Amino acid sequence: MKRFLETGNFAITEGAILAGCRFFCGYPITPATELAEAMSKRLPQEGGVYLQAEDECAAMHLCIGASLGGMKSMTATSGPGFILYADPYGWALGCEMPLVVVNSGRVGPVSGITGAPGQGEFYLTRYPTQGGNFECITLAPNSAQEAMAMVVEAFYLSERFRMPITVLVDQLITDGFEDITVPESEEEMRQMGFKTWPRAFCAGPDFYPFTDDLDIPPVQMGSGAGGMCSDWTPTVEGYDIEEVDAHHKHAYRLIYKVRNHRDMFNHLYEKKFMDDDPELVVVSYGTPSRVVNTAVDQARARGLKVGALRLINLWPFPDEHFARKAKYLAVELNWDGQLVREVQRAATKDAEVHFLGSCGDLPTIPDLLENFEKLLKNQPLTRKGWELEAW
Amino acid sequence: MQYSSSALIQKYLRSRKIPSTACSGCGLGINHKVVVQAVDELGLGPADIIWGTSIGCAGRQTFGTWQGDGFAGTHGRVYAIARGLRIALPPEKKIICTVGDGDAFGIGLLHLIHCARSNVDMTIIVNDNLGYQSTGGQFGFTTPQGVKTDSSPYGMFEHNLMSEGMDVMHILKGAGATFLARHVAMDGPRAVESVKKAILNRGFSLVHMPYPCPTNFASRELGSRNQVNIYRWIKQRAKPLGQEDANTVWATGVWYDATDSRPEFSEHIWASVGKIRRTGAL
Repeated sequence: MKRFLETGNFAITEGAILAGCRFFCGYPITPATELAEAMSKRLPQEGGVYLQAEDECAAMHLCIGASLGGMKSMTATSGPGFILYADPYGWALGCEMPLVVVNSGRVGPVSGITGAPGQGEFYLTRYPTQGGNFECITLAPNSAQEAMAMVVEAFYLSERFRMPITVLVDQLITDGFEDITVPESEEEMRQMGFKTWPRAFCAGPDFYPFTDDLDIPPVQMGSGAGGMCSDWTPTVEGYDIEEVDAHHKHAYRLIYKVRNHRDMFNHLYEKKFMDDDPELVVVSYGTPSRVVNTAVDQARARGLKVGALRLINLWPFPDEHFARKAKYLAVELNWDGQLVREVQRAATKDAEVHFLGSCGDLPTIPDLLENFEKLLKNQPLTRKGWELEAW
Repeated sequence: MQYSSSALIQKYLRSRKIPSTACSGCGLGINHKVVVQAVDELGLGPADIIWGTSIGCAGRQTFGTWQGDGFAGTHGRVYAIARGLRIALPPEKKIICTVGDGDAFGIGLLHLIHCARSNVDMTIIVNDNLGYQSTGGQFGFTTPQGVKTDSSPYGMFEHNLMSEGMDVMHILKGAGATFLARHVAMDGPRAVESVKKAILNRGFSLVHMPYPCPTNFASRELGSRNQVNIYRWIKQRAKPLGQEDANTVWATGVWYDATDSRPEFSEHIWASVGKIRRTGAL
């Protein structure tokens, strides 16, 4: 194994290469630019191809094309580019094309602030395209090292589920420098828990089975087997059809191949001080969770019964974590409250759900501690005064 | 035509999709046959070609017709998908995309230009039915000036890619395309010859093929769905290059042939990657 003091962009690049990614297409955007730059340097060394597209919409379509030809592919962007993925994301979901998408969140809406972290695409990673009738898988690491692991995992899942997978990070993870360990052999990859899955291809004649089965090889162009896929509702063979029965079968597959195999990824979370029925459960993902974890440690040292739940698998949302009657506090990098809505939906009826937002800046440990104490004393949360009292 | 349609269909197309569900009198089938005949005359088989399609009449009616591998892109993006696919395909495999005018010259123009810029080995057949006909008949970006459509009830007066002496071919040539031709559906063997050259070019080729739409275009502009009227209307406005007159909208023939004059995209990329891998530099 080799250690580096490097950025999350570096870690993600190395993770992708370890997972077998040999095609990357992107468009420069802060804070994912260095990821594209690292790919442009590293992929040719590994016999892979880096391309720069005319926009993000094209970038993901090029990745689709390369994947359609049998190459493991990845693209990376930030919020303003992620929204331009809507079109190809839908295609990749519908055509069941494996692909990994990295989104490094910055402050929005629109261009917002380029060099500050945000978490404004929580729901967008659930609904990255229009039309509904699908499930998505999103993984949200909170460090450079974990980002590497989750990119490897995303490639693994994308091949087995035959679908695009989003890795949701933020500016602090991609741009921040951290201690990173890179495995140098397959044995070391195994030691680090990195799993890979080879690309197989569907030799035809059928495009898909209307089952929830995993490990169905994707269609590949160029084999001459007569493989077909399209943006239309497909028949089993891949022909386009305008029939609701055919649509129902296709939708069943897109939804239930994910819902029925949640055991493949629902172990991806971290719990801290959750074994003694904490009165307050602090829920977060990504970079804020690092501050939350420290704050919860300090709260425990003060004798406060606070626990921390950090989600790595964001979608499908892991409802099972919210069955206990407790106070939940969602800490997020946005002012509008996104994760909190899902917590409120998933939590038992007699649970209390609260929200603490910030954007561009992480919450501070004193702020968090103050709010933990107030919630435990049934006092209203500290507000700056200009935001709404309740989210 | 040299071959009967049924022989070509049996050899290259899928009986499930041919005949297509195109409207009565639609000219798309003629263009489709021109392309398949060109493939046949080149001695290529279904496995030699990956067939891409787009959204709209041209894309929907040709998707799934090819016996070999085929895919349909989202609206305007088939060029970007094909560009990525080109990287993954062996160089001897050919990509042909049958697309519409709205797809290529409207929503997809940016991606099309970048395929021309990088000289991707692909043949784009733009089946131009003079507007957006699958949505009922609105004008497009190569619709002749003055014609009445559902979205130009007073006559089409917006400047477009074929007005005021402009020609969409200039844009594509300037962007780096290495083979460009234009033929109306009535050009028959001349069109087949151009499509053959387009396929043989190891680079970006585009053939612009206006064809008649009796159902929507003709019913609005000519007040009739009589197929003869719209076929005649198009034929009167098409002349071979160099023989144009005041009424000519479409100058037909090989518009630009710079076959093999520039390195092809994927070959160039792979050669560069290979060199970097071997030597660490270009």
